[in-house]
Amino acid sequence: MNISGILVVVAPDKIDSTVETLNSLDGIDVHHIEQSSGRIIITQEAESIHDEIDGLKRVRALPGIVLAEMSYHSFEEDTENVTGIPEELEHETLDTVNAPID
Amino acid sequence: MELTRRELLKTSAAAATATAVGITIPATALAKSKEAEAGMQWDKGVCRFCGTGCGIMIGTSEGRIVATKGDPDAPVNRGLNCIKGYFNGKILYGKDRLTQPLMRMKGDKFDKNGKFKPVSWEVAFDEMARQFKKTYQEMGPTGIGVFGSGQYTIPEGYTMAKLMKAGFRSNNIDPNARHCMASAVVGFIQTFGIDEPSGNYDDIEHTDTVVTWGANMAECHPILWARVSDRRLSNDNVKLVNLTTCSNQTSDIADSEIVFKPGTDLAIQNYILRELIKKDAVNHDFVKKHCVFSTGPYDIGYGMRGTDKYAFDAEKDIQAKELKVTLDKDEAIAQRRKEGEVVEQKNTKKPVKHWMITFEEFKRGVEPYTLDFVAELSKGDAAEDIEAYKAKLKGLVDLYADPERKVTSFWTMGFNQHYRGSWVNEQIYAIHLLLGKQAQPGNGAFSLTGQPSACGTAREVGTFAHRLPADLVVFNPKHREFSAKLWKVPAKTLNPKPGSHITKIMRDLEDGHIKWAWVQVNNPFQATANANHWLKAARKEENFLVVSDPYPTISAKVADLILPTAMIFEKWGLYGNAERRTQAWRQQVAPPGEAMGDVWQGLEFAKRFKLKEVWGEQKIPGLKAKGYDDGKLPDVMAEAQKMGYSPEDTLYDVLFANKENLKVKWPDATVSRGHGNHIAEKLGDGWFPEKALFDEYRQFGVGHQHDLAKFDVYYGDKVRGLKWPVVNGKETEWRFNEKYDSYCAKGSGFDFYGKALKKLPGGDLDKVTSKEKTSLAGKAKIFFRPYAAPPEQPDNNYDLWFSTGRVLEHWHTGTMTRRVPELHRAVPTAVLFMNPEDAEKRGLQRNDLAWIESRRGKIKILVETQGRNRPPKGYTFAAFFDKGVFVNKICLDVTCPMSKEEDFKKAAIKVYKA
Repeated sequence: MNISGILVVVAPDKIDSTVETLNSLDGIDVHHIEQSSGRIIITQEAESIHDEIDGLKRVRALPGIVLAEMSYHSFEEDTENVTGIPEELEHETLDTVNAPID
Repeated sequence: MELTRRELLKTSAAAATATAVGITIPATALAKSKEAEAGMQWDKGVCRFCGTGCGIMIGTSEGRIVATKGDPDAPVNRGLNCIKGYFNGKILYGKDRLTQPLMRMKGDKFDKNGKFKPVSWEVAFDEMARQFKKTYQEMGPTGIGVFGSGQYTIPEGYTMAKLMKAGFRSNNIDPNARHCMASAVVGFIQTFGIDEPSGNYDDIEHTDTVVTWGANMAECHPILWARVSDRRLSNDNVKLVNLTTCSNQTSDIADSEIVFKPGTDLAIQNYILRELIKKDAVNHDFVKKHCVFSTGPYDIGYGMRGTDKYAFDAEKDIQAKELKVTLDKDEAIAQRRKEGEVVEQKNTKKPVKHWMITFEEFKRGVEPYTLDFVAELSKGDAAEDIEAYKAKLKGLVDLYADPERKVTSFWTMGFNQHYRGSWVNEQIYAIHLLLGKQAQPGNGAFSLTGQPSACGTAREVGTFAHRLPADLVVFNPKHREFSAKLWKVPAKTLNPKPGSHITKIMRDLEDGHIKWAWVQVNNPFQATANANHWLKAARKEENFLVVSDPYPTISAKVADLILPTAMIFEKWGLYGNAERRTQAWRQQVAPPGEAMGDVWQGLEFAKRFKLKEVWGEQKIPGLKAKGYDDGKLPDVMAEAQKMGYSPEDTLYDVLFANKENLKVKWPDATVSRGHGNHIAEKLGDGWFPEKALFDEYRQFGVGHQHDLAKFDVYYGDKVRGLKWPVVNGKETEWRFNEKYDSYCAKGSGFDFYGKALKKLPGGDLDKVTSKEKTSLAGKAKIFFRPYAAPPEQPDNNYDLWFSTGRVLEHWHTGTMTRRVPELHRAVPTAVLFMNPEDAEKRGLQRNDLAWIESRRGKIKILVETQGRNRPPKGYTFAAFFDKGVFVNKICLDVTCPMSKEEDFKKAAIKVYKA
């Protein structure tokens, strides 16, 4: 689970419509708005970074967006750890000898 | 209502983001945010991906990194953080992290053909030293090599450079940064006599014209791009031009996109120079006071071997061009010669030599580059109307020429990874200098870099085959003397003959000139072009390859010994970014298992060598230098003993844990602040290696135009890096400009004070005519460099261009970013971007599996005809992060002959259905 904090900037006159659109998007919450500068702070919750990238692209593609960039990322729920010899090293499949050209 | 942990984290993420960008939020939100972060410690750090050098804050809890955020106080990124920034934390926790040394064994002994088995550090170093000594005794200092890195921390690079150069007396240490910015370095040294940019990132907010040349900033430098787009979109007067060989994301907000044919950027630059003169946009006053004109030989080859002995049969036709080139129609015009003329490449050994010319000669040089000629030659998209293309070129000239306009030009690998990479670098300065638009806020040519410390470590520390710290070079007797004195080693310990550059270390492994090599903080067996040769070389019976790595990369797989390595926030370190900013961080968490930092690995290895084993007479084939017998380094033991050293002292005692350094104590009351230092703790002799070595290193540059502050200063709470030279505690914003740079002579206005290559003979466009050398102290050089055709181009057999580079979600060979499983799925595998018509012609559709074949190898890849890279007909692109799609088997190991940086951007391939 990834949670990101994202800054979105729009022209001040687009702020209301953008907030409305953002609120309708899955995984996105609008937290703070600064009317005068057109800045909106949102969070995005996503299963994977893949979904996060797509999510951010989705925001950037909205009409009137000047900037949408991440600032904060939390991954405290990741718990996997390291053990033993990596599997990749036990199965040597890398072809280092065969001539490259058939 | 009680908030769930997830909701609390969201509140906290929003509060942190708002605070980072300076938005006031209600006190209740702040309070909740504090609650979410209870038990979490925050400390400043630097992103270890790309050369931008964003400041990030690292959040740790119970010995683990749990969050990262853009540092609001960091002037580079101002609280923002691109998607890569997040990996800094996540990357430590990949499932296949290496945690113990692994050696190829049969039974309980090392065996080249054995399987990897875990061994102790003791056993690992024993075998490593045994193999080293065998080769060293047989071949001397040239028989060993180190593949260094632009991702080395400053103390790591310094440790290895000192160990190799002052200890082993070998100059065979060269970083992967060679592949990244060596051409930029040559451009700086040739033009200014000193390395690294005059300006800084604030040029973005000061300028009103941004021109990107061969730099897909939107994908590769997203945070700087956010600043550029912010500037562009908030001011209508700001214009943006993207020069590229493939339509990409950077074009999305550009006012003009110029798609040119690979290699013809040189011709476009000369067209611009010609037009600036015709329009009389030249800033004559600036040029007269601060510049001279210069040129050099054209017959400099392409950085390939001079023999086809090691070439595959299919490669031989290209390799032959290293010796002789038949000029094509365009080169003939561009070089004022005849089509079909066969030009012997006579200056492959001295490609950097140059001489002064007059402005009149310079004008004669650029005269052939008319709009008609250059537009025909360079137009990269056959579908584009030639008149429309010409209008864009003219528009570009108008932007550069407009006296009311400030212009900042950015470039990265499109220029640097180029068979004439040093020339295109020189030419961009030529444009800016001719206009007097350099070294001022918003005005300047600025070289972006790709690695976090390509500048700070590779270049400034000098982990190159020919360099010493602070722009000193091994072949200059005064520089050697100065360095030896600072290092407290006998003067003739240092080897005056430059060693092998990184591609040559690979070639040396193949042809038997190097038999022992150590890979650190990089993955050269995946990242070096023409990889099939080097993979075979690694596995040659007589070669011993050590690879220090946190993960099982391709390099690790072809190694004989793998050393598990600590990653960024598991150790103390400093990096230097592309704008001369040096930044520091502390160890945040302990490395996993037995993994250890590279500084420790270098120091521990140094303990295994006594002075008597390395400081006796050593053979150096081909060495010729004043004061040295041909072909050898003298025995310096007698002098060493006079200096108080014993033959039984180890290199660790003499070079590292010496009297002065042992005084620098760990733990350190000023900076350690409760953070651990696994290296100091494991060494156990009470010193603080990173601090002692940094403060020793900085002495090279203090008072010599490369001043760094003291170690402790960079750890100050308020400090977010400092741009060198740091003089009297003050950083330097714009170099060479008297207003900002205290090194400029009083009353000079501008002073290009770099000292290298500042005495030149005079000549005409073709040759030296007056051998008498004139001093150009304080001046910069404006070069004339002609268009030269790429040595390999599409033909009937290999009928498409192929280029490689990065995509946003991955970085370099993907060793780190591919560990993050979700991310891996974002770009599941490298794809071949190609024009839909080219695909159709070959019976291919999107997502079909296809073969790419070049003269050097073939690989399978998925075809992509849509998406963010939109190649013109005849051009293809694939990123090089995926070890399953080994694109460097395809690429050509041509280099810029001056910089020895490989050209990853111009191979000819054929593509067919798999």
